[in-house]
Amino acid sequence: MKSIQFIVNGKECTVLCPPAKTLLDVLREDLGLTASKECCGKGECGSCSVLIDNEVVCSCLVLAGQAENQVITTCEGVGLSPNLDVIQESFIAEGATQCGYCTPGIIVSAKAFLDGIDHVPSVGEIKTALGGNLCRCTGYTKIIKAVQTAASQKISEPETIR
Amino acid sequence: MLVSEIDMITPSSLSECLMQLSKEGRIHRLIAGGTDAAVRMKEGKWRPEIWINIKNLNELRYIQESEDCIYIGPLTTHKDIIYSPLLQRKADVLVDAAREVGATQMQNMGTIGGNIGTASPAGDTLPALYVLGARLELTSLSTKRIIPIEEFILGPGRTVLKENEMITKILIKSQKPNEIGIFQKLGPRKAQSISIVNVAISLTLDQDLKCREGKIAFGSVAPTIIRARKCESMLSLGTINDELIRNIAKIAWKEVMPISDGRATATYRRDMASALLERGLYRLIRRWDNQ
Repeated sequence: MKSIQFIVNGKECTVLCPPAKTLLDVLREDLGLTASKECCGKGECGSCSVLIDNEVVCSCLVLAGQAENQVITTCEGVGLSPNLDVIQESFIAEGATQCGYCTPGIIVSAKAFLDGIDHVPSVGEIKTALGGNLCRCTGYTKIIKAVQTAASQKISEPETIR
Repeated sequence: MLVSEIDMITPSSLSECLMQLSKEGRIHRLIAGGTDAAVRMKEGKWRPEIWINIKNLNELRYIQESEDCIYIGPLTTHKDIIYSPLLQRKADVLVDAAREVGATQMQNMGTIGGNIGTASPAGDTLPALYVLGARLELTSLSTKRIIPIEEFILGPGRTVLKENEMITKILIKSQKPNEIGIFQKLGPRKAQSISIVNVAISLTLDQDLKCREGKIAFGSVAPTIIRARKCESMLSLGTINDELIRNIAKIAWKEVMPISDGRATATYRRDMASALLERGLYRLIRRWDNQ
């Protein structure tokens, strides 16, 4: 067991856990942040996506000891009701979720992607950016639409974005 | 050994890391991006007593140029490679290959040193490194040696790396203005797939598409990456035209030696190696013409 510190969603946290425990398990079990989901556990599906220093990674393959002192953002950190991020609002408006299991990972990936660009992305760009996130309900059309909607809203009303 | 029993050490410098690696009487293993190491730990294949975590050892994360050589730190991520203006200009085939690794998450996490150390026959950056004439600096507490990547990889997952050594530098030759490369991959889907076959091509061209030298390396068609020497010798025969490309593709069918596995049959791999090489050469010529 080791005492490990992180900054999760803007808050400093200290967790006592084995250093080889995955960051995903720490987030879910020790910190109660259950938006990030375990699905494949091998980095193939993206359901566990979180941001470390604003870069999207699979938290199921990051060991807790490796994330020490890192700045981590989960889907809860992107936005929680009633203060949802424009991306989350767009997912609701476009109905871009079915069972919802992949949604938190996709929102985190979309957040990193849209923060890095300043235009409304093409379908091809979105497919590349979200290539690591699988949706087995296959609602991709609406997901892609939601990302485009979020991008155009971010550009038209930048002052309202947190 | 249970996952919960594995300890972790995070060295703050390369020298401290080399000292940790030299310690005997315990089982330790390096972990960088973790995209392979963490999966193997979960599968029960890799359960060291101690992980030596080098994920944030930033002194090994760099891309530099000196004269006609480019030095890449082993902890450089695939994303770093994709966005490097230097590599885009002078190692286009490596940038191409890094783009084909997994998807965004894997490109952010995975490192080039990890891709080499894992020594998978399907590793996407490896054929590119073969055609760029990559050499690796292997360092231990008391030794340092530089060897070509062909001599580093012995078989699937097997390398000449000693217990106390680590990859500390990757050296490649900068491409000259008349050199151009391309990487082609066949996988079950565009993102996030393991290569069924991949190929890296690098050509040195004169006026009128006369090829002075060509290098071709195939992945996933043998226990290690292989250079297609017969195809390469055909490339230097003269001007690259449709007939030459078709003939080279036919020779490639004979030159690769794939196996059947869960991803594809040997025959399919042969056919696809041939097709990918043909397509790659056509695309490369088009890219050259558009420059």
